[in-house]
Amino acid sequence: MLIFEPHIHMFSRVTDDYEQLSLAGVRALLEPAFWLGQNRTSVGTFIDYYETLIGWERHRAQQFGIHHFCTMGLNPREANDNSINRDVLAILPRYCEKDSCIGVGEIGLDDQTKTEEIMMSEQLELARNHDLPVLVHTPHRDKMKGFQRCIAIVKEANFPMERVLLDHGNEETIKITRDLGCWSGFSIYPNTKMDPARMVSIVLEYGIERFVINSAADWGVSDPMMVPRTCVKLEQAGVPREKVEQLVWNNPIDFFAQSGRINAEMLAQPASANLRETFDGNSVLRGQDPDKM
Amino acid sequence: MSTAELRALLGPAAEQADEILATLRTNRSRLPVAFPGLPRRFGKAVVGGGQRLFGEATVDLDAFRTCDLVAAYLVTSLDATEEEVLDVFAHGDIEERAMLFRCLNFMPLSSTTSRLFGEALRTNIVLHLEAAMCDSDLLARTLKSGTIDADTGNRLLLKFAFIGMDLTRALNIESHANATLSTMLQDLATEREAAGRSVWKHTYRMLGHAVCPGALGRLIGGLEHGDDGVRHAAADGLLAMRNNDSKLQPLLAQFAQERLPREPRKTVRELLQQLATN
Repeated sequence: MLIFEPHIHMFSRVTDDYEQLSLAGVRALLEPAFWLGQNRTSVGTFIDYYETLIGWERHRAQQFGIHHFCTMGLNPREANDNSINRDVLAILPRYCEKDSCIGVGEIGLDDQTKTEEIMMSEQLELARNHDLPVLVHTPHRDKMKGFQRCIAIVKEANFPMERVLLDHGNEETIKITRDLGCWSGFSIYPNTKMDPARMVSIVLEYGIERFVINSAADWGVSDPMMVPRTCVKLEQAGVPREKVEQLVWNNPIDFFAQSGRINAEMLAQPASANLRETFDGNSVLRGQDPDKM
Repeated sequence: MSTAELRALLGPAAEQADEILATLRTNRSRLPVAFPGLPRRFGKAVVGGGQRLFGEATVDLDAFRTCDLVAAYLVTSLDATEEEVLDVFAHGDIEERAMLFRCLNFMPLSSTTSRLFGEALRTNIVLHLEAAMCDSDLLARTLKSGTIDADTGNRLLLKFAFIGMDLTRALNIESHANATLSTMLQDLATEREAAGRSVWKHTYRMLGHAVCPGALGRLIGGLEHGDDGVRHAAADGLLAMRNNDSKLQPLLAQFAQERLPREPRKTVRELLQQLATN
């Protein structure tokens, strides 16, 4: 089964993860720009991070046959930092135009401050200017209120709902997002928040229309294999294989195809994995012989 | 070179390129925003039309894509400064950088040229080495003008050999052959042979243009190689060697005559015929 993992922070993962993902059928993935675990202190570090997403990280993924895409944005946590937030917004337009950038994100709310709301609104405008869909991070604390506020901000901006993916949802939030016309993302974690069994229940109750599932794996305790694991659970629960494939392949492609920058045809083959290829003179092989890999 | 020549090659894309150019003329700072979208807006289809002269530059349009020419049209029409070009390069993705290397063909040779060649050498990305060195005489012109020094040229060509690119795509580059480069290529060949790996066939060609210790032995031995391409390159190299040093003629003729009846390839036989006769 082919999988498009629509939210994973490979910047924080090792090559073993890429190999496992590839073996499990992950043909493409999306890496949203996010918080690195500690706040950055200058715009320069954002520039370098964004350039890693369009450069080295794409190269690493490609070495394992995986197509790498990203979304660009100022994450809500660092959006609160008035010493850098304006400078970051100013550099984003050039990165939103990069070929592998297929959305704006993660934007949204975390502490649910006024500044976060302003930054989210401005980045909705950014998405509109670049004709991109948005990936919205919703708060992990006081989630329901955060969802409602995110939805209100999208509506106030008159941003098309079908171009919005509200991520990190659960059984409660689906009740308010189901009929909005937006897309719903569910992040499946190993020990906390949404797990595969709960996701199975949601699919059995609500179906798969405008749903995507992801691992949101990052630098913390998380599992990049959560999407393949959930696929197995869904099939075991009797969800037909074509529905599962719709959920983990067609749906994410359909959502991000709204950028006009990807389609199923360009993902028909694995990314070309030429192990002799280097990036900035660097290789994932660390001196190993490509002919023996 | 006039930008009108470039524009004429854009065909139906010219109007859209003009729209972008008009926007950039009013706000040049948008160049880094306009640049990344060129491949998806204009496509990567090859322009075609074979080799063509643009001012001093010879460019093989069979390898240039519409987006490359649009990029060149924008950069030359705006007369982009070195700072602007290097900014797009520094923060560009892999395709933006490839387009900039192609743009160099249409810009005056300058420190921008040498800095970008330096980046190609440093970063070792095949797509970029290809865009910088293949399908035009950019490298040959840059070396001839002294815009980059011979040592940088040698290291670029050694990398070219290392990644196994086709020398004939670097137009007129034989003019840069020199003994130091030949020694570098000879050493690389020896290393690869010791490791049981294949040797860049154009090594034979380049060694013929500039002799180094061991060159004659390698080229004559190349006539017996099992790979048609190597034999062809060896015969080519021996012809170049003879043209540079007529004293070698009797010796080379002897080897050519001995090989001729056993050579299965017509193209190689033709070269051997030339070598066998005075």
